[in-house]
Amino acid sequence: MEIFLILGMPLLLAISSLSIRKQRVFGIVNSIGHLAVLLAGINLFKSIITKGSAKAFLGFIYLDFLSVFFIFVTSIIAFAVSLYSIGYIRKDVAQGVISEKKAQVYYLFFNLFCFSMFVVPAVDNLGMLWVAVEMTTLISAFLVGFYNSKESVEAAWKYIIICSVGIIFALLGTILFSYAFSISGLSKSLNWSDIAPVAHILDKDILKVAFIFILVGYGTKAGLAPMHTWLPDAHSQAVAPISALLSGVLLKMAVYAILRFGMIIIKSVGFSYFAHLMILFGIISLAISSGFILVQKDLKRLLAYSSIEHIGIISIGFGLGSPLAIAGALLHIFNHAVTKSFMFFGAGNIVSVYKKHNMNTIRGVIRAMPFTGIMVLLGMFALTGFPPFSIFISEIMILTAAFTNGSYAIAALLLFFLSLIFGAFIYHFGKMLFGKLPKGMVVSAEPLSKRSAFLFLLFLICVLGIVLPFIKKDLLWFAQRLLQG
Amino acid sequence: MYGIILFTVLVSTYLMVIAKRMPALIRGFRYQSFCLFVFTWVIASGHRQPDLFVVAGLLFVLKVSLIPYLLYQIIKKIRVSEDLGLFINPQLSLVWALVFTYLSWVFSVSLLISHETVLTSMLAIAFFIVLAGLFLMITRMSALAQIIGLLVMENGLFLLASTVSGGMPFFVEIAIFFDVFVSVVIMGLFVHRINKLFTHIDVNKLSRLKG
Repeated sequence: MEIFLILGMPLLLAISSLSIRKQRVFGIVNSIGHLAVLLAGINLFKSIITKGSAKAFLGFIYLDFLSVFFIFVTSIIAFAVSLYSIGYIRKDVAQGVISEKKAQVYYLFFNLFCFSMFVVPAVDNLGMLWVAVEMTTLISAFLVGFYNSKESVEAAWKYIIICSVGIIFALLGTILFSYAFSISGLSKSLNWSDIAPVAHILDKDILKVAFIFILVGYGTKAGLAPMHTWLPDAHSQAVAPISALLSGVLLKMAVYAILRFGMIIIKSVGFSYFAHLMILFGIISLAISSGFILVQKDLKRLLAYSSIEHIGIISIGFGLGSPLAIAGALLHIFNHAVTKSFMFFGAGNIVSVYKKHNMNTIRGVIRAMPFTGIMVLLGMFALTGFPPFSIFISEIMILTAAFTNGSYAIAALLLFFLSLIFGAFIYHFGKMLFGKLPKGMVVSAEPLSKRSAFLFLLFLICVLGIVLPFIKKDLLWFAQRLLQG
Repeated sequence: MYGIILFTVLVSTYLMVIAKRMPALIRGFRYQSFCLFVFTWVIASGHRQPDLFVVAGLLFVLKVSLIPYLLYQIIKKIRVSEDLGLFINPQLSLVWALVFTYLSWVFSVSLLISHETVLTSMLAIAFFIVLAGLFLMITRMSALAQIIGLLVMENGLFLLASTVSGGMPFFVEIAIFFDVFVSVVIMGLFVHRINKLFTHIDVNKLSRLKG
């Protein structure tokens, strides 16, 4: 089974990162390992699509379409990040920012982090799901506080405390779910595959209360406003490749957890309860993030707030609930993961050359680093939903769904905030990318490993628009099935 | 029997709410965890479930002995003021705690379908402990107090799980214990780092990141 490779490989790499001293060598080994994971992820995706669902490891692991989709997205981003890390860590070591030993620590936690993120969608038991999500927080806190500066330690502390408190509420919700299950007269279990088929006979009132706790709890981790306050700090202070992982995949893991519980809720309480909550939080996230994006000065914080915006769009998509909207939201998860990682790589390159985060003082990126400059320019258009890039397609799917559902107010709000954010991005990046080469700065080129990470992601960003018409039918079918559990 | 234990749990939580200094807070946490240990032990011997004995044993080892010990070690090592830095003074905190107790009673009466007094009061106390933990985290400035607040919330959830749903599945319970322990260790490490970099552990003054 591929799932053992997917879960085993990061652990194996974590162990071997301790024994291989040379970070140059290990970086390449790491990428090869993650390439294997990616291939296994694609294979798993294919086999689950034909099989429907599978159990493994004494029923501990349960895979269906939703979980393999998240595993697939994670494996893509993990591979891209492992490629980018080679050049990034090498440069940090060469400049003496971190020692060779610290680079080893980086690879160790990077792989543990990947492992914990692969576990989240794979487990069947909702209690273990909670443990796995909490594990992702604890491990990534080290990567947020990696540089050990005042700012990064502060960010890591806020991250670990806010997410832990948030997730305690998720545990409370999980316990209430299991209470609802236990009073229904069935045997004691927390397995999703046991609860979901009998969801309709569970007590509705308890589930309603439980789901609010779940949404607040995992919503904290997902970065839904107003529980998002840890996110800009953590994303801006983490090591650049890790920011990509945090924003691209980690937030989605929490979305995955919400969806798992949401599927039970939809069956039991009905769709509108789930929809109202998701759309409410989605709109709040869009509104708050667009305000902060407008006035932002820090490059990486800008991208972090943009993640809150996209999580808002995703939850609106799931909240709208027609097959088209669900398909759009799923696609958007993928597109945002790919595009945001791409942008964080670009931001990482810019920050490591200019040595500052403040967008008002960064000028002439295209002159100083032509490759990164062009990439960031393309990425900016992709991120703000410009055709022909993939985010445009998923956003138009969600918008179309909103119009065909008759939710004109939601569609109007979505369009308003999207255009606001688009303007802000053009303004910020226009100033930063163009302009004269700053004095005393030499034109620099990126190493091959970094370039290949960019090109790999750019390929995924662009190619989707061409492939989509061919797979659209399947996607809608899956979305339909996802709704019915 | 359950009544007495629950009452002591409640009292220990009030003790934590009015604590002004770090050692008193840790002691309160220890009492609370010990009460939960006795509670689990009583349930375990009542139902003759061997895995509940294991859970009780783990509770004793981790939450009564190891975690308080670790926290005392941190206090000793960083040698900062043991004051908790209260935003709300003990008397007012107690008033809040009483309000929380009432609210969680109302909430649990409305949530439960059957109105057994024991079950309802267990649920109410569990919710109260969660709220008290949150209250401690919000109104105390010391980073260590935040760790304890988190642990208190987790204790509340433990009580909740063992009353309403007859405990989590065994391996989930073990995993959660492990998780709590690891998180205390990691947060302890970060407290060290904060103390080293800032020479204080007052989280209210951690305000470099904004906007």
